[in-house]
Amino acid sequence: MPESLWLIIAAVLSLTGMTWLALAMHWDQVMPRPASRADAPRRTLRGFGTVMLAASAVASMLADRPSMAVLVWFMLLAASALTVALALAWRPALLRVLCPLRAH
Amino acid sequence: MFANFRQSMAWLHTWFGLVLGYVLMSCFFFGALSVFDREIDRWALPETRFAPQPMPSFDKVLAPAFARLEADPADYALNMPAMHDPAKGPQTPRLSLPADEYWAYTTHRDPVLAIGAGFRVPLAKDPDGHNHIHGNATIDPRSGAAVPSDQLKIGSQWFYPMHYSLNWQWRNMGIFIVGLAGLVMLAALVTGVIMHRKFFREFFTFRPAKQTQRSLLDLHNLTGVVALPFHFFFAFTGLLIFAGFYYFPVSQFQLKPLHDQHEIIEARETGLPHARAGIPAPLASVDAMMAEARRRWAARDMAGEVGFLQLQHMGDANGYVSIYRAGSDRVALVGEAIHFKASTGEVLREEPPRAPVPALNEFLAGLHLQHFEHWLLRWLYVLGGLLGCVCIATGFIFFVEKRKQQHARSGLQGARVVDALAVGCVTGMIIAAIGILVANRLLPAGLTDKGAWEQQIFWGLWALSFVHAALRGAPVAQARINPAWREQCWTIAALALAAVALNAITTGDHLLKTLFLDPYLAVAGVDLSLLVCAGLAIAAALKLARRERHPVAMGAADPVEVANA
Amino acid sequence: MTIPLTASLRKFSLPLRILAAILGGWAFSWSFVACSTTVLVGLGMPFHDAETASLMLGLLAFLTVFLWAFATRSALRVATALPVGALLFHVVALLLQRQILSWGL
Repeated sequence: MPESLWLIIAAVLSLTGMTWLALAMHWDQVMPRPASRADAPRRTLRGFGTVMLAASAVASMLADRPSMAVLVWFMLLAASALTVALALAWRPALLRVLCPLRAH
Repeated sequence: MFANFRQSMAWLHTWFGLVLGYVLMSCFFFGALSVFDREIDRWALPETRFAPQPMPSFDKVLAPAFARLEADPADYALNMPAMHDPAKGPQTPRLSLPADEYWAYTTHRDPVLAIGAGFRVPLAKDPDGHNHIHGNATIDPRSGAAVPSDQLKIGSQWFYPMHYSLNWQWRNMGIFIVGLAGLVMLAALVTGVIMHRKFFREFFTFRPAKQTQRSLLDLHNLTGVVALPFHFFFAFTGLLIFAGFYYFPVSQFQLKPLHDQHEIIEARETGLPHARAGIPAPLASVDAMMAEARRRWAARDMAGEVGFLQLQHMGDANGYVSIYRAGSDRVALVGEAIHFKASTGEVLREEPPRAPVPALNEFLAGLHLQHFEHWLLRWLYVLGGLLGCVCIATGFIFFVEKRKQQHARSGLQGARVVDALAVGCVTGMIIAAIGILVANRLLPAGLTDKGAWEQQIFWGLWALSFVHAALRGAPVAQARINPAWREQCWTIAALALAAVALNAITTGDHLLKTLFLDPYLAVAGVDLSLLVCAGLAIAAALKLARRERHPVAMGAADPVEVANA
Repeated sequence: MTIPLTASLRKFSLPLRILAAILGGWAFSWSFVACSTTVLVGLGMPFHDAETASLMLGLLAFLTVFLWAFATRSALRVATALPVGALLFHVVALLLQRQILSWGL
């Protein structure tokens, strides 16, 4: 079942990408170090987050024909953005776990 | 009238959103349920709980089933006198009408098969017209036996039409109201983006701990923004699907001459006869034609199940058979039709690849109608639909929250009325939807017109929820929470648990069996969704009870944005 | 005479605007679809393709004029511009249709 494997990868990539973008934007809610002194890691997170979302689009394309993949990708973005927003509101510590930088 | 552009857009968003939001709420909710309409059908019709079947053999199963079809008495009574010309001779009795057209339709999720016939009206007033009396049935494709027709397919015949017509057929009023609501949805999205200035900065923002108004507006923005493409394209494609026939029917009105000329050109180009020849002819093996169609699709490297089968001009030398592929592997709708001459089985025409415009149209219609086989995308669509519901519902509640303090001080009832309507449209709608499932399991299977009873119970429960919300709404006029919200949440939880229990008791298909012992995911999925719904309803009820005891301090959150909303 | 007229206009300006936006906008986009269909058929597109493309554009046109009806300053302008536009598109559609039909099959 390579299709479902690619779909899972696409979902994970989109969730990771959204998490990093959210960390870059809402750094203060999650991290102990103030955002004003974390410009460099936030820029890195924004860059990596965008790359992850693009990679998620590629994984969707590998799972389905392009017309279908576009729909799947847009809906995955919606689902992961919602998940990240709810995590940010209720369990912000979870997002810290997914941060790739040792930059608290 | 409006001080500036932004204010006019805010007015449009608030008031059109409020008035048509009630309609949009049912479009999104029942639309989300329609994603799994076939699965809800299986839950409601226990005797159809078997695996999806491919299109059966025509010669062995379909031909005898078609022969048993009768013209529908209601259709006959309504349309026969209008089509028949008494000057030419007596009216043909209903059961003696000759069949002119047969069709059968299935998808990769259908155990049962929908079939139908168009019966010809002899001695018609307009012999060139499309004079058909219809008769439809649902059959078990394994045996050809009919599935009782007075049973309501709650998914595909009640929830599904509910989401585009509100099940109000009179002069297609429901379809036009939903159309206006669809336009308002598009307008609300555009105006919402104009109003929401911090579109990107607040992309992930939801602050449940802040004041009610602030966190409601957060949730309203969040659910609207993250699924913005979904909301836009579902409203747009929904309108597009009905536009040609209902909203802008140019080809039936001012452009009818141009349309009719095109029909003649098209018939000449495709070689498919428009009318009967009047010469009797036999029917060659349709099974052989289906095999040939599958062979040709396979040669073009396409997944090849027959989705739609249509026989035109039955028993006539001009008769032909059209075989359409089930589009389970792509977004666009069924297609790649191959047409055969009915009397000989020779291929008349194989449809060429589509031009860009119809290809785009079929992609747009297909992304809404979802004939494809993709379970992840189906669930994501359910999520999109529910996000739409949350977006609209938070809009209602925000409207009430913003005004109820002021209304309470000046003794106005506006906030109370809007709140009661919101209760009926949010929790009341869920009560009606789950209530019809409970009724389906409680009413005896042999009850005559069981489907009609179920529909009455659906409307009755929904109406009751509005009455209940109105009667319990007094606290809103004192700027407190309507206890109807909490009470109806408990009702939802009780009904959902009852539905799951009744399904297990009356059919024996409990979750252990449908998940593990003898998996049948359609029924298990409905049961599990009901359990999740019950859990969420209980959580909401407990939370509401806490809020009623300890009201959160009210106060305008962000004066600028709240004023604009 | 002019003062009561403007006053009554102001009183009815909101209902007039709403009515014009919905019904006028509908008529406008309906005629737009007809006109656009005949233009595209005239340019050689098959009828149903032209109709489909026009329906898509027509829905976007409806959305645009609906928003414009509330954004623009004068309600009277909305109530006149949309019906006049509808009539113009309708007449052009009928004339083009007659022209195309005269070319024969």
